[in-house]
Amino acid sequence: MRVRVCAAALAVALWSQAGAAADQLVLDGQLDLRWVHSNGATSYLEGGPGILRFDPQHDDVRFGGAYLASRLRLGDTVTLHAVANAYGDHDRNPVDLSEFWAEVRPFPSSPWRWSARIGAFHMPVSLENRAAGWSDVYTITPSAINTWMGEEFRTIGAEFEARWLGASRAYVGDLAVVAAAYGWNDPAGALLADRGFALSDRPSTLFGGLGRPPVTFYHEIDRKPGYYAGLDWRHHDSLEVRALRYDNRADPGAATEAGGAWRTRFTSLGARLEPTERWTFIAQYLDGDTIIGPDSAGINQFRMAFHAAFGLASVEWRHERLTARFDDFHTHQLSGFFGPPGDESGHAWTVGWTHEFGNEWRLVAEWIRVSSSFPPRLEYGGASALLESQTEVALRYRLHAGW
Amino acid sequence: MTHLRSGSRSTSAAKSQSATPFAVTRRRFVDRVTVAFATWCCLTAPAGAGDVAVNVIDRRGGVVADVAVTLAPTGRHIDPPPRPSGTAVMDQQNRAFVPRVLVVGVGTSVEFPNNDSVSHQVYSFSPAKKFQLPLYKGTRHAPVVFDRHGLVVLGCNIHDAMAGYILVTEAPYFGTTGRDGALTLPAVPPGEYELTLWSPLIADPPEALVRAIHVDVHEGSSSTVQLTRDLRMRPEPRPRHGDWEY
Repeated sequence: MRVRVCAAALAVALWSQAGAAADQLVLDGQLDLRWVHSNGATSYLEGGPGILRFDPQHDDVRFGGAYLASRLRLGDTVTLHAVANAYGDHDRNPVDLSEFWAEVRPFPSSPWRWSARIGAFHMPVSLENRAAGWSDVYTITPSAINTWMGEEFRTIGAEFEARWLGASRAYVGDLAVVAAAYGWNDPAGALLADRGFALSDRPSTLFGGLGRPPVTFYHEIDRKPGYYAGLDWRHHDSLEVRALRYDNRADPGAATEAGGAWRTRFTSLGARLEPTERWTFIAQYLDGDTIIGPDSAGINQFRMAFHAAFGLASVEWRHERLTARFDDFHTHQLSGFFGPPGDESGHAWTVGWTHEFGNEWRLVAEWIRVSSSFPPRLEYGGASALLESQTEVALRYRLHAGW
Repeated sequence: MTHLRSGSRSTSAAKSQSATPFAVTRRRFVDRVTVAFATWCCLTAPAGAGDVAVNVIDRRGGVVADVAVTLAPTGRHIDPPPRPSGTAVMDQQNRAFVPRVLVVGVGTSVEFPNNDSVSHQVYSFSPAKKFQLPLYKGTRHAPVVFDRHGLVVLGCNIHDAMAGYILVTEAPYFGTTGRDGALTLPAVPPGEYELTLWSPLIADPPEALVRAIHVDVHEGSSSTVQLTRDLRMRPEPRPRHGDWEY
């Protein structure tokens, strides 16, 4: 009897504690059903040379994807995050995790506040993917840069941030130094070398594969950790500037049954300006290179440089948002020629429109036109140059729940 | 408008404002303390006391709201007005502290209700008051007593763009300017005083924001302070409901 009373008292105490704290568990999710119409080549996801997610063989009503992002607060300083995704495109895992991590963020005791993330998560590069589940709030399809960020990169390791909080100096803004060490990113660069840049809202998941045949990304091949380090400046709640240097420090001569290690390095710069409540402007730039093959291979070592940029303007009013974006992207093969050079050159225009029906439903329409040339397409028997377009109208249902 | 020890004139001014969240919060707070003061003002206002009117305008002549104003005697001793009952309020709405600037006397209790749609973690690491309010909504936490004078900068550990300020003062008379850039401190005994202004928006050097004034037994005092430097830019808080709160 006494045990029961104690157990009941403990349960009441725990329940009251859980009830007193707010939003300890928050779920945000989205379901996306869309109509697609494409002109162009077979998509890279189907083994073709096209660089859009869908192709004329998939003109129809399609399942665009679903995600469920959860956030569980443990006490006041630790938060657990997990994001599960489904894309309905024959991935070997119909539902898979794309991120899971724990964040430690103590209360600041000085103008410098530190925080840390441990787990698997996106690095702080994209200024488009700011909503739950790393989703893009401006268009359906992210830019070429952030498409690639979602495909081949995940920080599987630990990230540390020290942020100077400007309020202590009557300044609304802050400046952060961020650095991370990670593993399991040695294949990063393979997809870019094989296909070039693409525009697609089909990021990879942690344990699944992308495309046909499925390509997996997160392997540790050389047992050498990589790093990134960067700055994040937020000014007046209207400007955010990010700079990041990434180097996976892979040994390009290392290989296992999972494939070879790609030494990939890049510098990323980006700014997002929101001068008024209505307008948003984003610009990002990426410049780097990737290498595979032992150094002893000399000119047979594959080396490729790449750079990409985009500019985006978005305006919102009432329940509408209209966005236009211009992408420009290039790769340039420097050595290791065994066929046509992997020199991709392309640009794309994207126009997106979003209409919100209340808090749950929204309609998103998008039109992309991308022009690109990539000589390795000649090996498929096609033309090097491609002009593709894709129109999508997505009906999205969002759910939000908190306890 | 949030002054504890000045009277009904600024209260009526607040009530004449449109019912923005800012104004509603200020009104609620002022209403709370007015009940205590109205009786006191009628019964205990010293004979011959005057009103002190303060107007703050920027370099181009525009009014400056939410400026903290303190008034401290520099000459003979005056009996401090009695401390009002009630608790000051620093609310949280739309991912912002409301009001942005609050002035309280030393020893005042301040409530931090969270009337926002999301939870907040309020903290301060200012020397005048270090405290932390673990994640909450509503009025879960007891009021915080501010027992040392000085500036207390408030933040939210989840929403870094949130910043609020509580100026804890030993001065017997204080308040903040309203939307019209004006504040009236009623029933101030005649004598010599030091008037001090503070706002996170004001870029003028602190010494330029202090001035000596004389409160006349009949005329009271009227001061217009024009700033010489541009205000620091400070956009209104913009909650972005699409953002995922990490």
